[in-house]
Amino acid sequence: MKVSKWSERLFGTPLFEPLVAFSYIFPLLYLIVFLIVPVLSMLLIAFTYDGNISLHWFKSILMNSYYIQIPPRGEFAQKLTTSTGESLYLIRGLDFGVVLNSLVVAALVTLFTAILGTVFAFVMARYNFKGKNLFRIALFIPLLVTPFVNAYVIKQMFSEFGLINYIFHEVLHILPFRIKIDGLAGVVLAQSMAYYPIVYLNAYASFINIDPTLEEQAENLGSRGFHLFRTVTFPLALPGIAAGATLVFIFSLEDLAAPIVFHGDPLAKKLMSYQIFSKFIYGLGERSPEIAALSIIMLTLAIIAFLGIRKYVSLRQYAMLSKGGRWKPRISDPKPWQALLIYLVLLPALLITIFPQLGVIMLAFSERWTTTVLPQGFTIDYVKEMILNPDVRRFIVNSLTYSGAAVILIVLLSITSSYATSRFKGVLSPILESIVILPIAVPGIVVAMGYFYFFSAVTPENSPLNPTSLYGFNPALVLILAYSIRRLPFAARSVYAGLQQVHMSLEESSMNLGASRWKTITGILMPLISLNVFGGAMLSFVYSMSETSVGITLGSINMAQAPITAFMKEVLMSAAGSINIAAALGVLLIVVQITAIVVVNVITKQRYSFIGLT
Amino acid sequence: MVEVKLEGIVKTFGETVALKGIDLHIKHGELFTLLGPSGCGKSTTLRIIAGLDFPDEGHLYFDDEEVTYKSSSERGAVLVFQNYALWPHMSVYDNIAYGLKIRKFPKQEIEKRVKWVLELVKLQGYEDRYPTQLSGGQQQRVAIARALVVEPKLLLLDEPLSNLDAKLRLEMRSEIRRIQRELGITVLYVTHDQEEAMAISDRIAVMNIGQVEQVGTPKEIYEKPKTEFVASFMGKTNVIPAEVVERDGDKVTVEFENFRLDGLTYKENNDKVVLVIRPERISLHPIENAVAITGKVDLIEYYGFFIEVVGLFGEKRIIARTINDKDVAHLRPQGEVTFYIERNDVLVLPKQNL
Repeated sequence: MKVSKWSERLFGTPLFEPLVAFSYIFPLLYLIVFLIVPVLSMLLIAFTYDGNISLHWFKSILMNSYYIQIPPRGEFAQKLTTSTGESLYLIRGLDFGVVLNSLVVAALVTLFTAILGTVFAFVMARYNFKGKNLFRIALFIPLLVTPFVNAYVIKQMFSEFGLINYIFHEVLHILPFRIKIDGLAGVVLAQSMAYYPIVYLNAYASFINIDPTLEEQAENLGSRGFHLFRTVTFPLALPGIAAGATLVFIFSLEDLAAPIVFHGDPLAKKLMSYQIFSKFIYGLGERSPEIAALSIIMLTLAIIAFLGIRKYVSLRQYAMLSKGGRWKPRISDPKPWQALLIYLVLLPALLITIFPQLGVIMLAFSERWTTTVLPQGFTIDYVKEMILNPDVRRFIVNSLTYSGAAVILIVLLSITSSYATSRFKGVLSPILESIVILPIAVPGIVVAMGYFYFFSAVTPENSPLNPTSLYGFNPALVLILAYSIRRLPFAARSVYAGLQQVHMSLEESSMNLGASRWKTITGILMPLISLNVFGGAMLSFVYSMSETSVGITLGSINMAQAPITAFMKEVLMSAAGSINIAAALGVLLIVVQITAIVVVNVITKQRYSFIGLT
Repeated sequence: MVEVKLEGIVKTFGETVALKGIDLHIKHGELFTLLGPSGCGKSTTLRIIAGLDFPDEGHLYFDDEEVTYKSSSERGAVLVFQNYALWPHMSVYDNIAYGLKIRKFPKQEIEKRVKWVLELVKLQGYEDRYPTQLSGGQQQRVAIARALVVEPKLLLLDEPLSNLDAKLRLEMRSEIRRIQRELGITVLYVTHDQEEAMAISDRIAVMNIGQVEQVGTPKEIYEKPKTEFVASFMGKTNVIPAEVVERDGDKVTVEFENFRLDGLTYKENNDKVVLVIRPERISLHPIENAVAITGKVDLIEYYGFFIEVVGLFGEKRIIARTINDKDVAHLRPQGEVTFYIERNDVLVLPKQNL
């Protein structure tokens, strides 16, 4: 056989090998067809006006004060009087118009989570204190995803007669008046509470990975205390913190759950994600170019954040520069004032942020929750109904089926793509590497819109694959594809990390001894990375179960085949069922997630890794 | 057993040229060593012979068959990796039996052969251990056993001793030599350690920046280096830049730092030369017909079974080595010292741009 120049260029193998070519082409084609093309099909609509290519729709958005409003309208807080005659401050936020509101909310959430996450990470990484292990466990609780219901609990907590007013106004008298948080402020609050552990996990990993000798050297040269933190520790951890914060920025931008929960206040509706969503729901079958353009704007913002952080982090890989060797971690006992800070500020903050998940559980087992501090009346009726009522159980079965099918695809995609990018240096490698984690940067509602346009254009009218068939539409395929794309980065990162731990010589020696590539992959490589594959698959499965954006849009067109999240949204938006049933489903998701975490921990003996951006 | 021929092998990685045209001829049953500093291309050459990399130009033959682009798995040139590359999820037995299973040997034959090879590398009774339960030396022997058990045409060893401690290195070195003699196979050995290369090899190719500088027996390479690089790479030696000032046929007079050495043999045209003098060839007591140069004592270093005197001649340091304490008894730091050098022991080579 002769060397093939194009095989070497494209795939990095001088001799053309079908298996290697497949590892490149399968994930590449899959992502192009089911991610890039649908999103691009939206571009086509957004840039067309009167049959010509035009910026009309973008101009009309950017010139419209509904979308961009400077100076902002409204009052940040209003003073009202409650029915009991006390003064009440209603905090809703200012209205900068849809586009800017999304940016302001995302920026504030990013800022708050960055501060909270970094402080928690630093304390957890560097101090020994009583109850630290409880802190560690508690910090995972906000990560448990319970779509809609946790935001609902947050809304209750910060309502007129909610938990926060009860504790700080009625019991402790710290607040001289009552507060109520609603509108955009409510969205910022709900997202900050849900997302700060993402920054925490990334920042914690960064602090732990700093070679202690770097700080010891600085101390040795006379740096101490905050100066040491500012000049050495923080700059070294910054790439990790920034990566976590960027993830939060993108999550906030695309989040639908909080705006939907707070949608009773019209201000909460003035966000890009909600606007796209509501146009989708109320204008089904209509291809609105304005919404396509809005989707493109949102996508652009997310992609800019994503590319920016990739560039930034790749320029600053120095945290890992240090030589190997066993590190003696720098952990010390806090000074009295630091201990005070931990127990008087961080502990209450932690308790408040884990309350939503506890509230979801309480809600699932209670009869009602109206104007009281906590839900009232214990009952297991709702949990029973969830399991026994076929109308509810159906959604669980649907979600399990779609997620299971998606995981099979995800495993195949992550193994092939990771194998190609970690083992071969073809020109396609960096392209594939980027495209595999690209789904992180594509907001779910954009994927949903793209799929809607794409599938209604390429499938026959009135067929079960065409979303415009409405009740004749079967969302199974679309949802499986959407899950497999959106949750691919979780598994791909895990498998890639596993492959990087296996030295290439282990495979080379197998082939050198006469084994084929297939035999080498199945006999040598797969047994060595099986735990990473398993861990990644579990993670993808769990987050497919709780997928929101596509599930509540394309997934809710035909409720007979809808997933769990579509049903939960119906409950919240139309009061079709009781919120307690949604909470029971939230508890089910919590159980699934905790089971996954425990199983992954026990089997792979690895720390549960959430996700990073690098 | 196989004869290996490389003709004009060129290999580039991106912009860097790793191999600039390698020609080698490795004979049947020979233990042949590629020797050179890191980055000289010796490992790349080895990987090309193993079929793990492919050259951009040139041809590779095993006996008369061209194998340049044959895949690694079909080549039968088995490589023992520097890090041994033992599969951590397989026992010693499974690691060694792997190649035999691929070749579809019957179970009994596999058992017989694994037993034989474990005896050969003196690891009887370790069948059920896992690689992580073995010491570095044992791991290395398993790696060699795994390669030998398939009766390779050619055994390739990539710095096999570099991960072992000094004592084990010596032991394994003779072990490899013993096994090679016992089986009579062709072995290609890669190392950066010149002492190891000399001790183990039938012949050595000294490589530098992607080229072969010299091929020869250890004795030829050590005593008659053809280039300045080979001379300086083969053990501690004096390499003194000098200039030819007079010529008479093959005989030249050279000058360095105001010292003149006459009657030296040199056939090249280039007047910029280096003088290569082995420290052990410099005498500290007078010899007849030798050149004598006098300088200052810079350092006297005691190594145990020999002593080195570093003399300062102008700006240039020259090292002499003796095993006789009496030779240095009269020397004092900064005092005078005279080195006696026989003309035969001075090698004049053209200056290289190293």
